[in-house]
Amino acid sequence: MNAIAMRAAISSPPWPVRPSGQLTAGVGRYSWPRIAVVLALVAVWAVVLPWPDWAHWTALTAVNVVVALLFALTGLLLAREPGQRGLAWALVLTGICRPLDYIDAWGVGPFPFYALVFGGIDRVFGAWALLRYPNPSLSRGHRRFLIAFAAWMLVTRTLVGVTATPQWAAGAPVWMPELLPDVRLATVLSIVGYIGEGLCGVVLIVLLVRRLVSARRLDRVVLTPVVVAGIAATVAAIVSGAGQQEVGASSAPVVAYLAEGLVDIALPLAFLVAFVQRALLIRNITWLVAEISGGAGVDVIRDALRTTLQDPTLDVVDLSALDGPVPAGLGGLQEEPPSAVPGAEPAGQDRLVEFVHSESGEPIAVIIADPSLDRYRGLFDVAVRTSALALQTAQAQAAAAQAKLAEVHASRARIIEAAHAERQRIERDLHDGVQQRILGLAAQLSAAVAKSGDPAARAAFAGAREGLKEILAELRELAHGIYPTVLTQSGLAAALEEVADRLPLPVRLDVPATRVPPPVEAAAYFAACEALANVVKHASASEVTLTVTVGESEVAMEITDNGVGGAGPRGHGLANIADRVSALDGHLVIDSPPGAGTRLVVTIPCG
Amino acid sequence: MRLAIADDSGIFRDSLRLLLETAGAEVTVSAASGPELLAAIRQVELPDAVVLDIRMRPSLTDEGITTAAELRQLYPDMGILLLSAHAEIGYASRLLEAVPAGVGYLLKDNVMNVTDLMAALSRVAEGGMALEPAIVQRLLSPRKPGKLDTLNERERGVLGLMAEGRSNLGIAHELFVSPRTVEAHVTSIFNKLGLDQSNTENNRVHAVLALLRGGGR
Repeated sequence: MNAIAMRAAISSPPWPVRPSGQLTAGVGRYSWPRIAVVLALVAVWAVVLPWPDWAHWTALTAVNVVVALLFALTGLLLAREPGQRGLAWALVLTGICRPLDYIDAWGVGPFPFYALVFGGIDRVFGAWALLRYPNPSLSRGHRRFLIAFAAWMLVTRTLVGVTATPQWAAGAPVWMPELLPDVRLATVLSIVGYIGEGLCGVVLIVLLVRRLVSARRLDRVVLTPVVVAGIAATVAAIVSGAGQQEVGASSAPVVAYLAEGLVDIALPLAFLVAFVQRALLIRNITWLVAEISGGAGVDVIRDALRTTLQDPTLDVVDLSALDGPVPAGLGGLQEEPPSAVPGAEPAGQDRLVEFVHSESGEPIAVIIADPSLDRYRGLFDVAVRTSALALQTAQAQAAAAQAKLAEVHASRARIIEAAHAERQRIERDLHDGVQQRILGLAAQLSAAVAKSGDPAARAAFAGAREGLKEILAELRELAHGIYPTVLTQSGLAAALEEVADRLPLPVRLDVPATRVPPPVEAAAYFAACEALANVVKHASASEVTLTVTVGESEVAMEITDNGVGGAGPRGHGLANIADRVSALDGHLVIDSPPGAGTRLVVTIPCG
Repeated sequence: MRLAIADDSGIFRDSLRLLLETAGAEVTVSAASGPELLAAIRQVELPDAVVLDIRMRPSLTDEGITTAAELRQLYPDMGILLLSAHAEIGYASRLLEAVPAGVGYLLKDNVMNVTDLMAALSRVAEGGMALEPAIVQRLLSPRKPGKLDTLNERERGVLGLMAEGRSNLGIAHELFVSPRTVEAHVTSIFNKLGLDQSNTENNRVHAVLALLRGGGR
């Protein structure tokens, strides 16, 4: 089961998802009063342990108190971040263990021995913190290294402790086990132990550099200050340790300790910087929300997420745009990672895949991101939820626009229909009303002509009758232009035959007698008239062919001439045709290469 | 001549009646629809011919043709003349299919020439035919390809006059040729249209129908 399939199979995240607000609001277990109490205790501890030193080495002791407090504070602050409890412990323990190194200041009892054996343990905890951050757990290799480091340190230092004799405080009541008192052996063991610890420091530096090199994106952003400070602190510890070995156990190299202490301040500060950086990343979400929550398309959301999550390989796939069932779509996604992103790393097999759900629980999109983002669940989850909101809004807006469009479309169809009905009504009125009256008058005039004995009167009646004849012809022309009776009465075929008969060039007609709905008939008829008029006016054709095919769901009309071609969709007549036809959801296709005739295909749905 | 008329426009009906009576005809029935005409005709002495509007209520499409077909079934010898406000080949063709003889199809404009109108009525009353010249002209337009292409110019002219309802003699007068020449043309037309060569009224109708069908167009 690959990572994508596995993640896809998980409906709810198995890790605890904490809202980002909790990271900064300071509520819950790690509230500010509790932090203050813990810090106060650590302060007392750090001040009291090296108490006698305050008199001689005030600066060094003060720096060490600050370092201890900073470690504790950083640990307490980081404890609020999800998955960083272990790290918090490591940092707090570093802070607490730090003063152990100076407990020998008392110069009495077993304190120098404790200082010798446990004085370096804070470095193990520090290394733990460095190797762990920001992962929720240590890798096996790192854990082994830490165990080896701690074991080496405790064993060699204990060995030094049991072989050494208290030399620097002669006369004071200092206790040492003195199991094998041998100054030379103690010195050798001390040097060997130091070399081992120094090697561990070098290994730690190597491990840290490797972590930084392999870290990507957000990881690198939050890791860099920590690793830099960690390397500096390690180097400082090695140097100060070397000083200690060189000078010997009799006089402490205060300057080296002070320098180390100052460098060590950088380490908790680096963790704090990283913490703030993570908090700032969470703040990015605020920007993201402002950017996209008003509703945004998949493209905008993709860009916003890439910026916010600092992952240029991140992709957002709109599920509503995919065909078929979701798993099939995802299968396709995996085969075709978003490699089109310029400068993006090739997406590996292991990608973080998260479904974006609508409020009703419907999956609406998929976010595919770098797996390192899994360590920034808080950030990532908020980003996903924000995207869900934006996508949902965008989809709702699109649906609303679609509905509006459909409404406009329907109203246009109604207007066309109304215009069509109106034309038919006017034509009928002209035909059945005015025309019949004129014909009646003409009949009466004919009767008058026949009856009248007066030649002058007959001539006058006949003149009037001629006038009526002209009026009648004009009226007929007018009515025909408004809506040809033949179209209503006999349909497209008969109407187009009449049109063809009036044209000054031969028209080959192939039109079935099948009747189609009146609006379709009318649209096809007027489109044909417009097209044929264009042929006569512009095409210089010697022949035109008009074919109508009535299918089950649409009427197709093809008008082909052998003229000069070169007709464009912007021609007034052709634009008219396109308008008429599109009002009924139909299409006009123009094929008119210069010199090779013109072919128009009009399709109108009818069904 | 005894006539019955049916037209749903009262004004036209009354004017037509006036005109026909002026021309010496006796109009015994003046109806506003086909059914009304059929009912009224039974009440009076049988007319020689009826004048029907093609577009009447209730359908306002081809009531006239339906009524003509019913009239022909009831009264085989009655002349039937359909008047239409506009000339449509499709109607002419359907009318001749339904009522092959003693029938005519003219534009209402013919009321302006009462002589021609009365002549057409006489022809249909005698079992002849009368087809609107405007329609015939369109049918004979040389642009129309089809079966009629086999006819030469003169034959087309003769066929057109036949369609208008002229007799051989009438055609001879019209074309300034002898009746024998006309007869030869008519025989040739029948031949080319695949009809038997007897100069019967039936064959004349078939020839005109061939014309109306546009030679297969």
